[in-house]
Amino acid sequence: MSEFMRLDAKAPATLGAVVEAVTRLSTLGEAKILELVSAGKIAELFPFSTARRDQPIPSDTLAEEELVQASPAPLNRKERDALIESSLPASAPKKSRPRSASKR
Amino acid sequence: MPPRPFVRSAPSKVDKRRRVDIRLTHMAAADALWWDARLGPKHASMASRADRYWSWSVLLPLCHLVQRAKRRYCRPLVIWARTDSGRFLRVGMLIVIEAYPYLDIEHPAESHFVWFMSAADAGVLTTEFGMSNPPALGRVLLDSAIVLSQNAGLAGRIGLHAASAGGDGLLALYDRLGLIRLPGTAALPASVRRPNDGRFFYADEPLAEALAAALDASR
Repeated sequence: MSEFMRLDAKAPATLGAVVEAVTRLSTLGEAKILELVSAGKIAELFPFSTARRDQPIPSDTLAEEELVQASPAPLNRKERDALIESSLPASAPKKSRPRSASKR
Repeated sequence: MPPRPFVRSAPSKVDKRRRVDIRLTHMAAADALWWDARLGPKHASMASRADRYWSWSVLLPLCHLVQRAKRRYCRPLVIWARTDSGRFLRVGMLIVIEAYPYLDIEHPAESHFVWFMSAADAGVLTTEFGMSNPPALGRVLLDSAIVLSQNAGLAGRIGLHAASAGGDGLLALYDRLGLIRLPGTAALPASVRRPNDGRFFYADEPLAEALAAALDASR
């Protein structure tokens, strides 16, 4: 679960909460999760902090040469790990992170 | 044998004689953020859409992590289409689970499972993003999963569950796209962990090959 190490500790989803949520969700079938998501209830089960407020929205369009096209072939372990890592929002630069409450 | 490529064009929903260029990329957090910010609010107001409450920024890491907990991998893809300006715009999103139990338990095997898929509303693409010819994406979305399954050695077998939020309209869509509806009385693989509600669909090997072959000219 090293992916979680990049989560901001001040984000609503702490490492422990996310691990707990993933553990709970992994006991459910995929169709059940689909139904929960479609009913708008997933935030209750997966308290993941999504984009930071200051995260810029990517541009609407890209030129063809800017697209990194997906391979239709199976991925190797390294490529799969990179795909998982890319699913998480970029970490905030340290200097822009708010100080933790305990240090105030 | 080289892997079967993804499709590179799809018919326009406005004018079936016209082809729209299509490209596929892997989905990253920035793609999910863009979809949630730019299309999510438009889709949220459309009551008939099964994906009206989906937040891809949450779904993307969730799918990866839940499936890793089950020792499986996801392949999340973004479908892009060429706009009137010549540049490409995100028009479809898809998360496929690799090596999932095949839904037809009479033939025990693995398949790919289409967990989440969305096509942007064609009207929104036209009015908000200047795309005069939004592509028809149903077949492209399914084909992407079939191609991944074939190239992974799973003979194109795929399965999916039609979200109940999509109502009868979603069932009719998957029927029109040619998928086989699993009888409501059929047992499901044990690891699917859900009673069969009659909303599961799949493609077996011959159907998958027929569907893929039908699009070979577009690859």
